Amino acid sequence: MPLVNAENLVKKYDKLTAVDGVSFHIDEGQIFGFLGPNGAGKSTTISMLSTYLEPTSGDAVIDGFSITRQTAKVKSIIGVVPQEIALYPTLTAIQNLKFYGKMYGMGGEELDQRCHELLDLVELWERRDSRVENFSGGMKRRINMAAGLLHQPRFLLLDEPTVGVDPQSREHIFDTIFKIRDAGTTILYTSHYMEEVELLCDYIAIMDKGKLVAGGTLKQLLSMLGEGGVIEIEVVPPGCPGGLVENMKMQNGVTAVRHEDSQLTISSKNSAHSLPPLLKVLEDSGCDIERLEIYTPNLEKLFIRLTGKELRE
Amino acid sequence: MKQMRKLRDIALKDLLVVGKDRGSWILLLITPLAIIMVASFALGPAFKGELKSQLLASNLDQGQIGRQLTDALGGREGLQIVEATPEECQALSVGDKKYKTALVIPEDFSSRILTGSDTSLQVYVDPTDNVNRPFMVGMIDGAASRLSGMVSAVRVAVSEVVKFAPETEPVTVAADAAPAAVQQMSQDPPVALRIDSASGMREVNMFDTQVPGYSVMFLLFGVMLGAEMLLGERDAGTLGRLLVAPVSKSAIMGGKLVAQFCIAMAQMAILFGVGHFVFGMHLGNSIPGLILMIAVTAFTATAFGLLLASVVKTRRQATSLGTLIVILMSALGGSWWPLDIVPGFMQVLGHITITAWALDGINALIIKGKNFTDILPDMAVLLVYGCICFIAGIKMFKFRNA
Ligand SMILES: Nc1ncnc2c1ncn2[C@@H]1O[C@H](COP(=O)(O)OP(=O)(O)OP(=O)(O)O)[C@@H](O)[C@H]1O
Ligand SMILES: [Mg+2]
Repeated sequence: MPLVNAENLVKKYDKLTAVDGVSFHIDEGQIFGFLGPNGAGKSTTISMLSTYLEPTSGDAVIDGFSITRQTAKVKSIIGVVPQEIALYPTLTAIQNLKFYGKMYGMGGEELDQRCHELLDLVELWERRDSRVENFSGGMKRRINMAAGLLHQPRFLLLDEPTVGVDPQSREHIFDTIFKIRDAGTTILYTSHYMEEVELLCDYIAIMDKGKLVAGGTLKQLLSMLGEGGVIEIEVVPPGCPGGLVENMKMQNGVTAVRHEDSQLTISSKNSAHSLPPLLKVLEDSGCDIERLEIYTPNLEKLFIRLTGKELRE
Repeated sequence: MKQMRKLRDIALKDLLVVGKDRGSWILLLITPLAIIMVASFALGPAFKGELKSQLLASNLDQGQIGRQLTDALGGREGLQIVEATPEECQALSVGDKKYKTALVIPEDFSSRILTGSDTSLQVYVDPTDNVNRPFMVGMIDGAASRLSGMVSAVRVAVSEVVKFAPETEPVTVAADAAPAAVQQMSQDPPVALRIDSASGMREVNMFDTQVPGYSVMFLLFGVMLGAEMLLGERDAGTLGRLLVAPVSKSAIMGGKLVAQFCIAMAQMAILFGVGHFVFGMHLGNSIPGLILMIAVTAFTATAFGLLLASVVKTRRQATSLGTLIVILMSALGGSWWPLDIVPGFMQVLGHITITAWALDGINALIIKGKNFTDILPDMAVLLVYGCICFIAGIKMFKFRNA
């Protein structure tokens, strides 16, 4: 029984359809990732799930409550971490957290304790009395995230929480996300970095121009590209002896060989198995290898395959 | 109940944010106090007549009457007489020092008066001096008129004496009578003016008019800042964060308006407080009436700020349109000069502003010595004004960026 079930969500602005019939479901305890380039409609989808925007059509049910008809119920079980740093810059870290906690009806001892816990979690307890405006980008992001966690939501919506963050802070945010997941929270994570969703997400939905173009576990998605990989070899002298290309095509696992000037591009079902015989053929032909690269399949490649463009422009 | 608590917490948060913002303190309190001080100290002495007006005078008269005239101007009328040459008088300057008005008394002044012939006084004025000129000229004219009156009296007296005693020489009689008459110059005139404030009206000090005027102006600037802050929260996403939390829109808006109202009240309390305790501004007969009048004004201003936030698209527009409106309201509504002195149609036009109604009420209490019941109409108008702004503002405000 999935925690979240979205049916045909559509959001239209005047002329533009930002989200165009998106359906998906998220199992309890999962980290579900939306991967897509700028303007794909990730934030718009999150905004609809969080009741910030009303869908033009379609609906989603979160823990049994409709995002269009039971907004009050939905609000109290979700936590939202917006893409922008939605904090009061002149207030301190703890003042920000306490304020948002109160907005979720928390108070007193419970709120104090929760603030302490979360500031420990994001490792900013020492800085609790500093104004947020004096924090680094990464520290702000961490407080921004903590502010969405105060009321221990069942479902957490994270919209690109690593934008503008140095690698160390990013690691830190990942650690925190895993901790939250381990504590039983279901998470929706959006990003336009494939490495992030590859690392974090149990299920990945690839989004482009308001539509989901593919979805599955990392393994499932990569298998869409085929098991194999691509081997690129540059040889000297340029121009290959006759028969080399034909010879290579006959090797075990090789599916295609392209030849252009000094470069050979070989597709294979399994690079590891195909490489030794290919090298042997090359050696026999008397060519030297100038450069050799092996590409394993990744989401970037899949995205290009599916949409004809790169994930990052 | 829960929503009420959230409303309160939102209001407290806003108060904290504004309290920490140095820019708000400068606009809400420091600027108006600075302007009030500058305006009051600059204009105050002139209004109170404390500043001794200086008159450059060149007395060429060979007789006594010229001296008596300058003595009268310097004594009874309170001018400071600075002696100079006729050339200096014409140039309105002695060395580096400039003057606004000069008087030259001709050589034959006394002898002509004593012989019963007409004479004249030469007055030089600075044509750009619109403030003092009428007053100075009026003063010299007044003295000259009294002198003329005496000369006429002397002429009548002489002709009567000559009628009954034809053997007497008119010139001799005049020479005896004239000095006696001119002596009168330094004494109270037969018809003197008593000047008192009209019944119920009190002596007004400069702060009585300046403090309310600038307070209302900067109250409006304050709500403009509030409008900008509200839109800022919308841009920053903090408003969005409240919208996805279990907080009702009424609690969000309510909290913000309560905070804005409290800020407005505190601002007015501080400005009026400083006005009263530091500068000796009067508070009128009805303190509860004044507090209520200020509260109604603060409410209307707050509602107006909400409306401003609702009609503009961006923060920048809130600031630019807001500034334009506040300046216009202040000029039209009487923040800078009393509406009593502007033409009738401008007084009517002025009453489209919050400023005019607010100052009508406040001035009635502080300056005109009116009572609480007298300002009820002003309060009623402001309340209706505020309610219209409030309803329109609530209806039109967009919680999300377009
Ligand atoms: N309020 C709005 N009015 C009109 N168009 C909008 C509005 N908000 C978003 N859009 C458009 O909808 C599309 C999807 O935007 P969205 O913010 O959901 O993308 P995203 O996937 O989150 O991109 P990013 O990675 O840049 O955050 C974009 O083309 C955007 O220009
Ligand atoms: Mg986005």
